[in-house]
Amino acid sequence: MSYLEYNVKSVPTGFRKLLFLNWPIILLLCAISSAGFIMLYSVAGGSINPWLEPQLKRFALGMAVMLGIAMIPIWFWRNVSAVGYIVSVLLLIAVELFGEVRMGAQRWINLGFMVLQPSELAKITVVMFLASYYDWLPLNRKSHPLWVFIPVMIIMIPTALVLKQPDLGTALLVMIGGGTIMFLAGVHWAYFAGVIASGVGVVWAVMVSKGQSWQLLKDYQYRRIETFLDPSSDPLGAGYHITQAKIALGSGGWTGRGFMQGTQSRLNFLPEKHTDFIFTTLAEEFGFIGATTLLTLYVALILICIFSALQNRDRFGSLLTLGITMTFFLYFAVNMSMVMGMAPVVGVPLPMVSYGGSAMLVLLVGFGLIQSAHVHKAR
Amino acid sequence: MIRTPLRPLARILNARQAGENPDAIEAENKRIRHEAMRDTDRVRAESRLYILGGCFFFAFTAIILKMGVIATTLPEEPQVSRSGDPILSMRSDIVDREGRVLATNFDTYAVYAHPRDMIDPEVAASELARIFPELDEERLLKDFTGNRSFVWIRRQISPEQMQEVFDIGEPGLLFGPREMRLYPNGPVASHILGGSNFGRESVDSAEIVGIAGVERQFDDYLRDPANGGAPLQLSIDLTIQAATERVLAGGMMLMNAKGAAAVLMDVHTGEIISMASLPDFDPNNRPTVLTQGDQSDSPLFNRAVQGVYELGSTFKILAVAQALELGLVNPDTMIQTQPAIRIGGFAINDFHSYGRENSVTDVIAKSSNIGTAHIAEMIGGERQQEFLRSLGILDVSPVELSEARAGRPQYPRDWTPINTMTISYGHGVAASPLHLASAYATLANGGRLVTPTLIHDASNTVGERVISETTARQSVDMLRQVVTRGTASFGEVAGYEVAGKTGTADKVRPTGGYYDDKVIATFASVFPASDPKYVLVVTLDEPNDTTGSEPRRTAGWTAVPVAAEMIRRVAPLLGLRPNIETPLMTGVSLASE
Repeated sequence: MSYLEYNVKSVPTGFRKLLFLNWPIILLLCAISSAGFIMLYSVAGGSINPWLEPQLKRFALGMAVMLGIAMIPIWFWRNVSAVGYIVSVLLLIAVELFGEVRMGAQRWINLGFMVLQPSELAKITVVMFLASYYDWLPLNRKSHPLWVFIPVMIIMIPTALVLKQPDLGTALLVMIGGGTIMFLAGVHWAYFAGVIASGVGVVWAVMVSKGQSWQLLKDYQYRRIETFLDPSSDPLGAGYHITQAKIALGSGGWTGRGFMQGTQSRLNFLPEKHTDFIFTTLAEEFGFIGATTLLTLYVALILICIFSALQNRDRFGSLLTLGITMTFFLYFAVNMSMVMGMAPVVGVPLPMVSYGGSAMLVLLVGFGLIQSAHVHKAR
Repeated sequence: MIRTPLRPLARILNARQAGENPDAIEAENKRIRHEAMRDTDRVRAESRLYILGGCFFFAFTAIILKMGVIATTLPEEPQVSRSGDPILSMRSDIVDREGRVLATNFDTYAVYAHPRDMIDPEVAASELARIFPELDEERLLKDFTGNRSFVWIRRQISPEQMQEVFDIGEPGLLFGPREMRLYPNGPVASHILGGSNFGRESVDSAEIVGIAGVERQFDDYLRDPANGGAPLQLSIDLTIQAATERVLAGGMMLMNAKGAAAVLMDVHTGEIISMASLPDFDPNNRPTVLTQGDQSDSPLFNRAVQGVYELGSTFKILAVAQALELGLVNPDTMIQTQPAIRIGGFAINDFHSYGRENSVTDVIAKSSNIGTAHIAEMIGGERQQEFLRSLGILDVSPVELSEARAGRPQYPRDWTPINTMTISYGHGVAASPLHLASAYATLANGGRLVTPTLIHDASNTVGERVISETTARQSVDMLRQVVTRGTASFGEVAGYEVAGKTGTADKVRPTGGYYDDKVIATFASVFPASDPKYVLVVTLDEPNDTTGSEPRRTAGWTAVPVAAEMIRRVAPLLGLRPNIETPLMTGVSLASE
């Protein structure tokens, strides 16, 4: 059912909307962010500078943006989704042309008042555009090859641009986020089976070709794969992060060393201790119990979002909610797997906890959209 | 799929009869169909959601399980010893034929800085400048306080220096393990070993790359982890190599030569026991390649292999051996040695006049150019070229040194009759001392081809037959007479029966023509003559013996005494027993009688 079909008058108006917000989501976001604030305070050695203060400011700004987006009717967001998609693709092209190179990759664009990472924006706009596409598409056409080809192109254009930066991690996230929307929209399963099979085939070919005359990757790329499979083979080189993170996790034990008592992370063993690897600090100081508590908060947030999507009879609203939830899930699943050595180090932050602006703002924009879908659903 | 028709005919007709709008029926049916589609779609979407939820659940479980496993296991410390590329740490040693180390690896450290982690850059810079006086304190401070996140300080440091840097207590100064190649014997065998350098570098390790000598020739082997660190065994003997170099250096100094080379080879295997070239260098601290001037003046230049010289009269025995082999002459055949040969405006002369005729043996013993040229005339150019090629003198030496390819022998493209004559006494063809040693080894071992090698291997042996055993025997006997009564009388070493041939060739001017006062003096020897086991070639570059009333440059006065001294020193080391005829002990009675 599309919003055109239900009675718009049943939707709350004005400040009454605040009552219809999905408050559990807001509370969970605050709880998760607080865990981040505590950790940033701890890794700075008990100081609000240099990380906690800017993070608090960003969080406040992000929450305001989230509420603002939540107040605007979801059909407005549906109508501007194509515009948002085109803008983010243009920004990705712009970053290619005049972006700033930081840490060896061209990912940032300076807008004058802030430094933007368009690939983060693309994660949301791709999901939005695909949700509105499937809202518009008649149900009986969704598995037709032509109507499958179009969303594939919608996903591949930004993915290719992100890959060129190069940022393999974000490219995969964009691709999986878009693929999830297609999957949930009901595209025939054979397409997904085909994609997965060819993916497995490529991996198989790459591994078999090693040492052969037709070797597909460069030697150093194989070395990275080997380091991922066995980080202890190079503990001071490429496996450094992972090994140190594992030591931090392990030394936390069940209950942890206690607040501000972490050694591994506070003694500068981990270069990215306040960003991508903040989870190790948390696990070291609060142990297995603290880490599973954070994980539980994430799970609760995701369950509430899925529940909200199931309640929503508007196709756009529910697909958008699920797509953003998937993106959020991918963030922390990839980050935690990476920290624990179950995935390669790809530079994905722990959502709402890691220090950093772009990811937090984009996620709060996403949750604003979820809230908007929740507030403006048919009742 | 069975579809219910949108406009069932019976109902439409009924509706028309009843006066109702039949389109309403279609609209109603359409609505029902859409709702059914939406419901199946919803069911499908929900099932898909369950699949997705399953994925979520799986991921959560995996993360929690992994976290539990990590939390319950003891943390393992990183093992520094396993750092770096394992291939690098396994570059094989190089040892001599007795297993004594010629090249090995040495663990050391590189020191570098992470300026962003520095607590006190000023103290660090001043302390570093104190420990490493060659570093500039201001430059360091600039690096440490600037925008750089990484600064190399030193690529190799000693353990004492490392301790001192460590004692600064600056967390921004870090050490990276690194291996370096060490040549414990310094300049001994420097030209054979060559040297190595760092290739790709990282903080944790650096690749060692062989850049000359056997280090370069066997680079792939030395790096190959499949060898399991098994050393590369060379044929040289460290003791004999050192003795050779020592005697050669002394001889070079006494004879005022600017360079010298020596090759000692086992005639039955082709293994090079020692090979020296002076001036030499220390492979631990390899000098840079000359950017101007003559590369052959650089200490890096291996005269024994790269140096291609006209080796003079040492070639005469080759012409004679071929003539013997072809049955053209026998050792007693008389050869015309007077008058000088005039051919094409060019005169072939002798150093002294040796009379009208001499036997072949005397042609060699007295070293007559005229006589040898007549013998070469009998042989003819084509057969001569073929014979020299079969001895390997006209091709690049197959010895396992990358430098050997630079020592390509030189010979005239058109092998004219006059070339045939001059080449027979070693002019107009240029080869390296190693080429000459291989050719002499063939004469010495009874006539079988010798392939020079630097690798000690029990399977090393001689090749196909080039000349008959009789010819080889007769040739060695003639060479013996060169020492007993000919031009190499200083070459006699009591008990070791030295046989050999001298050779003195004027050096070629770079501008063309020959110098009057610069020669290459060579003595190619075989010992012991009764059962030849070793060949020794000694070459002096521009020797000038000034002890006499006038300067003496011929090999008999310069290269021969050096070679004799060398044999005196190394023959006992080679395990040869001096063959001295003990006088009958008449007039002495044993005490017990």
